[in-house]
Amino acid sequence: MFQRSVVIAAILIMLSGLFIFPTAGEEKVIAIRAGKVHTVTGGIVEDGIILIKEGKFLAVGKGIDIPEGATVIDVPQGVVIPGLIDTHSHLGLGPSGGITEDNEMTSPATPGLRIIDSLHPRGLMPHQDSYLDAISEGVTTVIARPGSGNVIGGLSALIKLSGETVDEMVLRFPQDMKMAMGARGGLPGYPATRMGTAWTVRKAMNEAQEYADQWEEYRKEKEKNKDANPPKVDLDKEALLKVMKGELPVHIHCSPTVDILTALRLGEEFHFKKLSLGHATGAYKVADELAKQGVAVAVGPQMMVFDEEREELVNLADFLLRAGVKVSIITDADVVQQEFLRYQAAIAIKYGMDPEEALKAITIYPAQFVGAADRLGSIEEGKDADLVIFDGDPFDTMTQVLKVFINGKLVYEKKDES
Amino acid sequence: MKKKLSLSLIVVFALALLWVGVSAEQGVIAIKAGKILTITSGIIEDGIILIEKGKIIEVGKELPIPPQAIIIDASEYTVMPGMIEAHTTIGLRERFEPPSADETTDPCTPQLKVIDALNPFSRDIKEVVFGGITTALITPGRLNVIGGQPAVVKLTGTTISQMVLLEPAGVKISLGEGPKQAYGAKRKLPSTRMGSAYLVRKSLTDADYYLNQWKEYEKKKASDKEAKKPKLDLKLEPLAKLLEGKLTAFIECYRTDDIMTALRIIDEFKLKAVLVGCADGHKVADEIARRKIPVIISPMGVGPRRIETKDITIRNAGLLSQAGVKVVIHSDASLGVGAIRELPLAAAFAVKGGMDREEALKAITIHAAEILGVADRIGSIEKGKDADLVILSGDPFHYLTRVEQVFINGEIVFEKKEQN
Repeated sequence: MFQRSVVIAAILIMLSGLFIFPTAGEEKVIAIRAGKVHTVTGGIVEDGIILIKEGKFLAVGKGIDIPEGATVIDVPQGVVIPGLIDTHSHLGLGPSGGITEDNEMTSPATPGLRIIDSLHPRGLMPHQDSYLDAISEGVTTVIARPGSGNVIGGLSALIKLSGETVDEMVLRFPQDMKMAMGARGGLPGYPATRMGTAWTVRKAMNEAQEYADQWEEYRKEKEKNKDANPPKVDLDKEALLKVMKGELPVHIHCSPTVDILTALRLGEEFHFKKLSLGHATGAYKVADELAKQGVAVAVGPQMMVFDEEREELVNLADFLLRAGVKVSIITDADVVQQEFLRYQAAIAIKYGMDPEEALKAITIYPAQFVGAADRLGSIEEGKDADLVIFDGDPFDTMTQVLKVFINGKLVYEKKDES
Repeated sequence: MKKKLSLSLIVVFALALLWVGVSAEQGVIAIKAGKILTITSGIIEDGIILIEKGKIIEVGKELPIPPQAIIIDASEYTVMPGMIEAHTTIGLRERFEPPSADETTDPCTPQLKVIDALNPFSRDIKEVVFGGITTALITPGRLNVIGGQPAVVKLTGTTISQMVLLEPAGVKISLGEGPKQAYGAKRKLPSTRMGSAYLVRKSLTDADYYLNQWKEYEKKKASDKEAKKPKLDLKLEPLAKLLEGKLTAFIECYRTDDIMTALRIIDEFKLKAVLVGCADGHKVADEIARRKIPVIISPMGVGPRRIETKDITIRNAGLLSQAGVKVVIHSDASLGVGAIRELPLAAAFAVKGGMDREEALKAITIHAAEILGVADRIGSIEKGKDADLVILSGDPFHYLTRVEQVFINGEIVFEKKEQN
């Protein structure tokens, strides 16, 4: 009964779609006229115009001709920036420390797990609307990652925060392999020490190598003997094989300098392609090394690090950028809630980071970080039309988000209060 | 211009330190401030604050400055009272060690004192001072139904006795998910909300009996010198003081049902109480306001949301305050946006959510001092109060404003260093 009515409803919806959009051919152009446009890569345009067509930026600049029939959105006081990107999030995976969907803590190495199989496209209790809340503060793209409970957590995904299903949201999967350094202190079946953690990675990588060798042998054998028995497919090792071949980047959670150095060592040993670090509060002590090796750091949720020797606060994102390290600013949602990303950047600015750099650290730098700078991170012709319109300085606490677009579609609009 | 100014500040401070060194505690410090947010008597433009022996001895406009006073030129800056974090466990948690804010071997531990776990050298404490926070209520966590005795401490000093402003500052009680999770997992009372409420009620009833035994003894003693003294019970002593109204109950509760349970217990035992957490407070604002119970809240859930804080809204502080509740703002997380060091940001969020600016400023200064029972010493810039001051580069609620200097008891405890 229920099922039948669902089917009927579905058919009706589909039919009505046909009537509402009879000429689904060319989409209308959207023109946004705003007081200030931070293109991020092409400077600031005062009284700028942004044209959007079929989900992409068609043009941006001053005094651009608005095509006839375009939908015009006028926000004379509006400040526009590209949609914000967070390279380290656990959004929609349940509360950290609570009932969580991101830590499969039944074994310390679970490289075969796919985060998209845990993602809920709206968010889980107790924060069911976490996606909507994130969008309402201008966050449009995140890397959803397995947690750091496991040494090898599994495969991360790059997702846009709009879509009815996870599959609609995914921009790239797998994005990278998530690992985590540090001591785990005696959990049954888990390494207790830092050395144990490193060993877990080493062991898994060596086993993956053995597995690769078995397949290589099989291929050779097969040339001679058509009936040769293939080795068993192992999903965990297949995933690590991608890492080994350099097809999949690696992202490692680490905090103190000791863990950062271990991460670098493992990266060198196993030729991790595009190694990046998360949190890395001790990174400022080895910033030159990170810059030299081209290792990017996702800074957050802790923005300021207390240096005990000098008894002062280190502005981690700012420090690393000045040292030539690639940086993106993160929330580690929901250690800090996803919607507070712009305030994470504001804290870095408060303690001396250049506001333009801070804006880059939540837009174009993360776009480069995730290898999608051709589509994301700035307001440029041809890129995805992901943008946020504020009623003032995007970093000011009092500033409100007026509108948010993802792929050229309005996904959030501030309601008039009163 | 600014650089020049801070350079001259440094020179003045160098001289100041020299001078203080020479003449011990005799010196008067005069702060010439562009703007003084006194909190209790408005804003003074181009004012002067005179400090002697760790106290504010005068504040006003065009005050005569004693000839030998050390002058601190903050004429481009804003001065406000040291901020107060009204509910935190910093200093109880050491890195690389299990947290020691919850003695989870027994759900009722009113006998415990946080000062026995507080580390004056905790780097968390130092970091918080950098943000202009000068005093905190250090309290047991939220896992025990009765957690122990909090203390109000200044965030400077090498021994507990140097730090303490008020101890015990009350009794910490916790309802809702915390105790349920901690003891339910062990299949021990309380595994339910009614279990927690029962334990509070039972403990207070025991304390009432205990108190009466002592009262009777005191009565008997007058006529009978041989009267038998009741046994001193360290667990019931602080609870008896709660019943006598000599201590405040800090009751952590988030959901409306827990808030109402707290209010019921407050009514039943006529407690002097403060509600902590209160995420759903705005839904029962009138009930709280009617009883004149103050609240300590965080205006937004920065950190991981729990089941009991799932409905948290940025409008909570404003709605409670407009309903007539005395609202104190604290920070409920520890990282990034939620760092305790960024307390003014939490207050700014309250303003964004509809709280009056002046009220939000009071919520991290004088109102906090009042509900912690130390308003005679701190919370405003007034003659006779402790010289706990923060010199800021501008509006305390603006994200670009930096803390330039922090004073506790008239001494500089933080000074901004030049950029890298």
